[in-house]
Amino acid sequence: MLVRGCAGGELRHSLSEKTKALAAKCHALRSPAREQRGTERRRTRQRKSQTRWYVKQPTWRLWGEERVDGAIYTVYLKKVRYHRPTRCASSESDDEISHLEWETVRVRFVKAGTVDRLVEALATDDGELESTYVNVFLATYRSFAECSKVLDLLLGRYETLAADDVLSTGTENSQQHRKTLVACLHVWLDTYPEDFRQPPHHPALQQLLTFTQIHLPGSELHSKVLQKLAIFSAERNGSVGGSGVSLAPGMRLPAHHTISYRLPHVPHRHFAEQLTRMDMELFKKLVPHQCLGAIWSRRDKDRSHDAATVLATVNQFNAVSFRVISTVLVEPILKPLERADILAAWLDIARELRVLKNFSSLKAIISGLQSNPVYRLRKTWALLNKEKAELFEELARIFSEDNNRWAQRELLMREGTAKFADTVGENDRQLQKLLHERGSPGVSHGTIPYLGTFLTDLTMIDTAIPDTVADGLINFDKRRKEFEVLAQIKLLQGAANAYHLPTDPMFDRWFDSVIILDDREAYQLSCQIEPQTNAPKERRPKKNENNNGHRKNDSIASTSSSNSSQFYCETDGVGTWKRDSLERRSSPTRLSHGSSSSSIPSLDVSLSSANSGPKQLNGKVANSPAHPTRNGPDFYIIRVTYESDCVETEGVVLYKSIMLSNNERTPQVIRNSMLKLNLDGDPDGYTLAQVLPEREMVLPANANVYYAVNTAYNLNFILRPRRPETDVVVNGKTKNKRA
Amino acid sequence: MREYKIVVLGSGGVGKSALTVQFVQGIFVEKYDPTIEDSYRKQVEVDGQQCMLEILDTAGTEQFTAMRDLYMKNGQGFVLVYSITAQSTFNDLQDLREQILRVKDTNDVPMVLVGNKCDLDAERVVGKQQGANLANHFNCVFMETSAKAKISVNEVFYDLVRQINKKSPKEVNKPRSRKHICRLL
Repeated sequence: MLVRGCAGGELRHSLSEKTKALAAKCHALRSPAREQRGTERRRTRQRKSQTRWYVKQPTWRLWGEERVDGAIYTVYLKKVRYHRPTRCASSESDDEISHLEWETVRVRFVKAGTVDRLVEALATDDGELESTYVNVFLATYRSFAECSKVLDLLLGRYETLAADDVLSTGTENSQQHRKTLVACLHVWLDTYPEDFRQPPHHPALQQLLTFTQIHLPGSELHSKVLQKLAIFSAERNGSVGGSGVSLAPGMRLPAHHTISYRLPHVPHRHFAEQLTRMDMELFKKLVPHQCLGAIWSRRDKDRSHDAATVLATVNQFNAVSFRVISTVLVEPILKPLERADILAAWLDIARELRVLKNFSSLKAIISGLQSNPVYRLRKTWALLNKEKAELFEELARIFSEDNNRWAQRELLMREGTAKFADTVGENDRQLQKLLHERGSPGVSHGTIPYLGTFLTDLTMIDTAIPDTVADGLINFDKRRKEFEVLAQIKLLQGAANAYHLPTDPMFDRWFDSVIILDDREAYQLSCQIEPQTNAPKERRPKKNENNNGHRKNDSIASTSSSNSSQFYCETDGVGTWKRDSLERRSSPTRLSHGSSSSSIPSLDVSLSSANSGPKQLNGKVANSPAHPTRNGPDFYIIRVTYESDCVETEGVVLYKSIMLSNNERTPQVIRNSMLKLNLDGDPDGYTLAQVLPEREMVLPANANVYYAVNTAYNLNFILRPRRPETDVVVNGKTKNKRA
Repeated sequence: MREYKIVVLGSGGVGKSALTVQFVQGIFVEKYDPTIEDSYRKQVEVDGQQCMLEILDTAGTEQFTAMRDLYMKNGQGFVLVYSITAQSTFNDLQDLREQILRVKDTNDVPMVLVGNKCDLDAERVVGKQQGANLANHFNCVFMETSAKAKISVNEVFYDLVRQINKKSPKEVNKPRSRKHICRLL
């Protein structure tokens, strides 16, 4: 396979170039794919037409394609030095040794093949480990083969080679080849242990165990398999449940500490660190191959768990955005300046996130601030000081969609594995100032990327590049392309280990306690804060304008919110299209409703609200414009605390905010509160009381709570289990002994 | 040259990305790269006018709900896509449209309703008339397309360009940054 020769002058040049590339690879990069990608990127900017980097490298030349039974190879001719120095010792001095002889090696890359052929290709023709190929294969094989199938083939190949050896018909390579297969199994077990979990019986692992017992007893692989088995069965038998955080006594912080969990007066750095800690935990758990287009973008009811770790990240992103939106809007009576302070506080947190290189929460906050209900508050934004406004512009610029998100991609490229943030644009005055102030921090930070860009890229690759080529062979070049993205994710995951952030359970409680508004609720609140200034344009089609027998659609529009919400509930298998994990956690019953025919708007709101969770609030909020009562708010936000005898929550005020609309009666409000507070049971078993300065007002069993509450005071409520025969309801304004 | 920002919206799995790729690249390109700067840019001639279309495809990020407002704010024209093989994807558009109108604060937004995957007629659950009715109600254009079979894909984008032209015919060409001009020439 070796072709000697080639002219000297050209070689000299390419030698130094190649060596430098190699040296860079050795000391800076673990993943060849990143190097590849990086080079490719740089090239892209230099020349328009771009192909794989090795084609452009002077020492690589595309030779052609080679077809064999069941596989197609791309063949390159590669010039290498005849006497290879030890691999990592390449240094500048190599440049001087240019008189060495050269040889041209023929290198084959699998372009496409059957599963059998792809498994065979894990080792080269010489039986050597093809490490890049192995990485690509293991990262992507799930899109074309089952775990068990690949394992069968791998073990089968080993056994064939072993049998050849016994009959001494084997080639000299066969020993080496088997070693390589074992190495592959090691990599597989180490890198993707989840593939072998398959509870409850771990069939693949069992199969591997049998194999090692026969062929490799006492080997390293054997003990690794035993060890994995032990871990899995321990996990199965051991503490599976009970991850719910309970309040250990040590976690109770003195009351004055809770003050710092109310925006805008929060420690920005601390908030940024805690958000980063949350993101980091999810990001490290992220299984990169779940991001593949074939898995993530084709998720549906049956397969949503296939992408669970991706979904968790997305949910967290949304949760952060929702918290921004909610904290800005949830208190309608704030003065504009106070509200501007909340914006400023989020910007300060965002700035810290930039320093921490947490692009996920950073983008989530920017998205929250740019969401329509917040962004449209012109008067509030106008009160931000100039520096904050600039900061917002600069941070938002990072995530500009222009030029296929070039700014963001470039930044990630530069800082992804850097120790700390050090990249600013020439126009970014605030960020320049920030990085200048901070200097180079003593500690290095990891990086948390915004995952969406990767997800889009992988979806596009999956769409644009066919799974199979001619003759139905698996298109492995597609997998290489996908791996370029996966490798980048993996690299960043590794970098995320550089974060060392403390855990603050009180922050998590604050995070969980923030109310979530859906986009209609948020818009409604936003319009209360700053009514639409210009004469409201007629947005909806006039009632009978297009009346041509399709009244059904019209009626959907006028009550669309309740309807289409139901559509979501009915149809969206994942169920997270528009709400975050917290909300889903607290309302497991949500998904079960919405069975009513979607074409019949449920105008009887009180009826429909009786059998659903807070989602139904939408209906009311959105329906309310139909009644031209523009006088007061159509709903209040109330806070509900749960009082029980449980000692554990003593000293911690835990409240949930819920929306109270103008036609909700006591049982419904109790039901909503129970959902938010995660309480099960019969709503009749609870009472609800408003906390007034001197007393509590217990709400009558079927009062319209909206009208009954005393709005002269804070809307704080206590939900407590009903004690038999002790609550005396008199006339709707019951006095009760103070608890 | 006038630039048009077009946003493709719709639930996961309706074939948004296929529409975009088909329009911008023509499908089945050997060396496709979605990460370069002009992956989603295409120059076309509509009614004798050269136009630069920049497509913003939300594929893969449908569930990042908080980001939709920004897409909508920046977009000039919208492709609302459902799949004729999945009723739910059709139903989802009602909310998306509401959101667009809210963000744009106007009722007049260039928009095309697209029933994709019309090559899969055997699996059809959303009737053509249903789509037409919804479009009528949205007061927008309706097309059934197949990204796979290359049916009516370009027409969707051309129609949007015409709608945008009609709505704001005199929009002054924003000078593009020097960088871009270099690249385009």
